[in-house]
Amino acid sequence: MADSPTAFERFVQGILPENPVYRQLLGLCPTLAVTNGMKPALTMACSVGFVLLCANIVISLIRNLLKPHLRIVIFTLTIATFVTIADRFLAAYFFQMSKTLGPYIPLIIVNCIIICRCEVCASKQGVVTAASDAIGQAIGFGLALSSIAAVREILGTGMLFGIRVLPTAWPDWVIMVLPPGAFITLGLLLGFVNWIGIIRSKGSAK
Amino acid sequence: MRSFKDSNLFQAWLVLLLATAFGCALAGVQTKLGPVIEANKTRETLAKIPALVLGEDQAQQLSRQKKSLSITSRTIKIEKNGIKKFYTVYDAFLEGTLAGHVAKASGQGYADKIELLLGLDADARTITGLFILDQKETPGLGNRIIEKPWRNQFLGKPSATRLVVVKGNPGKDNEIDAISGATISSRSVTGIVNKTITDIKAQLVSPPKETADEQETSHNENGKIKENT
Amino acid sequence: MMYLLDILLISLTAALINNFVLYYFVGICPFVGVSRKVEMAFGMGCAVTFVISIAALISWSITTMVLIPGAPLSSFIAGFFLPEQAAAKIDLTVLSYIVYIFAIASSVQFVEMYVRKYFPMLYGSFGVFLPLITTNCAILFACLTIMSHVTGVDNPADAWDLGRAIALAFFGGVGFTIAIVIMSGIREELELCDVPEPFQGAAITLVIGGILAIAFMGFTGVDSGIRAALMPSVTEQVSTMIPPRPDVLAILDLSSQVRQP
Repeated sequence: MADSPTAFERFVQGILPENPVYRQLLGLCPTLAVTNGMKPALTMACSVGFVLLCANIVISLIRNLLKPHLRIVIFTLTIATFVTIADRFLAAYFFQMSKTLGPYIPLIIVNCIIICRCEVCASKQGVVTAASDAIGQAIGFGLALSSIAAVREILGTGMLFGIRVLPTAWPDWVIMVLPPGAFITLGLLLGFVNWIGIIRSKGSAK
Repeated sequence: MRSFKDSNLFQAWLVLLLATAFGCALAGVQTKLGPVIEANKTRETLAKIPALVLGEDQAQQLSRQKKSLSITSRTIKIEKNGIKKFYTVYDAFLEGTLAGHVAKASGQGYADKIELLLGLDADARTITGLFILDQKETPGLGNRIIEKPWRNQFLGKPSATRLVVVKGNPGKDNEIDAISGATISSRSVTGIVNKTITDIKAQLVSPPKETADEQETSHNENGKIKENT
Repeated sequence: MMYLLDILLISLTAALINNFVLYYFVGICPFVGVSRKVEMAFGMGCAVTFVISIAALISWSITTMVLIPGAPLSSFIAGFFLPEQAAAKIDLTVLSYIVYIFAIASSVQFVEMYVRKYFPMLYGSFGVFLPLITTNCAILFACLTIMSHVTGVDNPADAWDLGRAIALAFFGGVGFTIAIVIMSGIREELELCDVPEPFQGAAITLVIGGILAIAFMGFTGVDSGIRAALMPSVTEQVSTMIPPRPDVLAILDLSSQVRQP
C-alpha cells in the first residue's frame, strides 16, 4: 500500500502516461464517433469527465461497504444514474448538441474508462485520490479526443470550431468526417504516439 | 467470522438504498428538466413556422411589431393501398385569418431519413417555405440540402404540378436545380415535397369534419399552450 | 407484404449498410481486441448476436409495457394511486438507461449459464470475454435505437413493434459478426507480414478497419434502391427511378471533375 500513487501523481498519470485512449485503449467507441468536429468532441469529454468524477466520488465514499459479488451492479447503477443526469442536462440546455451526439451520450454507461477507473482506483482509494484520478483521466481523454477531432475537422472541412482555418481552395477531404476517416486517423495517431514512446524508451536506455 | 457487512442481507439493503437514492435523484431531474426538454422539442418546430408561412422578411417585421401568429396543430390521416400514414400539420392564423399551413414530413434520403417542414399558403396553391429538420446525408455533399440558397428554390413554386429535379439550368416553373454531387439527396427532398403535397392537399383546404383522429391543440409560437376559446 | 419488406430493409440496413462496427463505431473494443483468430472471432460474434437479440426482446417489452407514457403496466399500477388521467401520463423513460443496462447484464448472465451447460469447450476458450460482452457498446446501442423508434416518434402508430426490434437487433449482431470475422481473417494474414513496430497491434487494426469502412460505404443507398424497385406504386418519393451507376458517377464526377457523364 505504501507504493500506491498519491493523488497528485494519479492526476498527472491520467493525462499522458496512462492516457485512457492512447495508452490504455479504452473508450474507443466515442472516440471515433464524436470526433468529426471539435464542439461535439469537447462536449463528450466534459460529459465523460462529469460522470467519471461523480461516479468516482460516490464509489469512493461507499468503498468500505462493497463486496465482490455486488460491486459491478453498484458501479453500473451509479454510472447509469449519472449518465442519465448528464444526458437530460444536455437535452435541456444544449439541445442541438444533444441531437448531434445522439445515442453516444448514453453509451458512456458502457464506456470502459469509467468502469475501469472505478474498479482500479475508486473502490480502493480515498475520495481525494479518486477525484484527482478522475480529473486526470478526463483531461487525458479530452486531449485525445481533441487531437483526433482537430485533425478530422481541419482536413475534412477546413474549419476548426466552425471558423475557417484553411483557404477556401482546399478541397475538403470529406472522407475525414465520415466513418473511415475516424478509423484511419485514430490508427495513424496511435502509431505516431507509439513511435514517440519507442524513441523515448530507446533514448533512455542508452 | 463474517461481520454484518459481509452478509447478503446488508448487501441487499445497500443496493436497495442506493437504488432509492438514485431513483429520487432521477425523479428530481425529470421533474425539473422534463418540461424544458419538451419545450425545446416543440420550439424547434414552432419557431420556424412564421418564417415558413410568411417568408423571412415579413416574419421579422411581425416580430418587431410584437405581433404573433396563432398556431393550431392537427393530424391528417391518409389511407393509400391499405397503408395508413399520418401527417402533423400546423395551421397559422394572423389576427384571425388563416395565413398558411406547415406540414411535417419525412422520407428516405440517400443515407438515412430526412425530416422536413413544408410551408404552404392558405389555399395550398404555392409553396411558401422549406426547412430541413433532420438529415444524415454526406457532409459537404448531400448535407448541403440544409443551405438556404438551395432551399429558397422551392419558394413560390406552384403546388399544382410535380416538381422535377434537373442538373443545370432550371427553366420551367416546376424545375429544381440539383446540388452538384448530391443528386440523390436533392431528388429525395423534392420527392418528399411532392408526396406530401399530393397526400394532404385535399384535406388541408377542406378538412373532413367527422374524423375522430384530429386533435386540435392550440399553441402560440413560443410553445406555450393556449386555451381553445 | 409491406411488413416483410420493412423487415428486409431494416435487416439489410443493420447488417451491411449501417454496419454497427464500421458505420456506428459500436463494438470497437472486441473488434480490436478479440479479432486475432477466426474461430474466436466467429464465436464472439455469435455470442454477441445471441445476447443482443435477448436484450432487445427484454428492453422492447419493458419499454412498451412499463416505461413510455400510457404504457399498460405502469398506468395499471398507477391507477391504484392516481386518477385515471394522471395515471395514463406517467412517464418513466428517465429510467430507461438503467433498465437497459440491467436487461443486458441479465441477458449476458443467461447466455453464460447456457453456454457453460451446453458448450463447455467454448466456455473454456472464451474465458473472461463472456462477461465482458456486458460492456459491449453494440448491445446497448441496439436497445437505444429501438427506444428511439418507440419513444421518439411523433405518432404512436409509427412506433416499432417487436418484429422490427428483433430484426434490427439480430441483424445488427450479424453485421458485427461479419465485420469481426473479416477483420480476424485479415489479421491472421497480417501475422506473416512485416508491420512497422509502432503500428503493431491496435494501430494497424484500426487503419485496416478504416479501409473496410470505405468498402462498406459502397452499400449506401442500397436500401432506397430496393425500396424504389419493390414498391413502385407507394414510393412516389423520388420523382424518377434511380438508375444505380449514372448517379454514382454523378457523385464522383463533380468532385473529381475528370470524367464526363
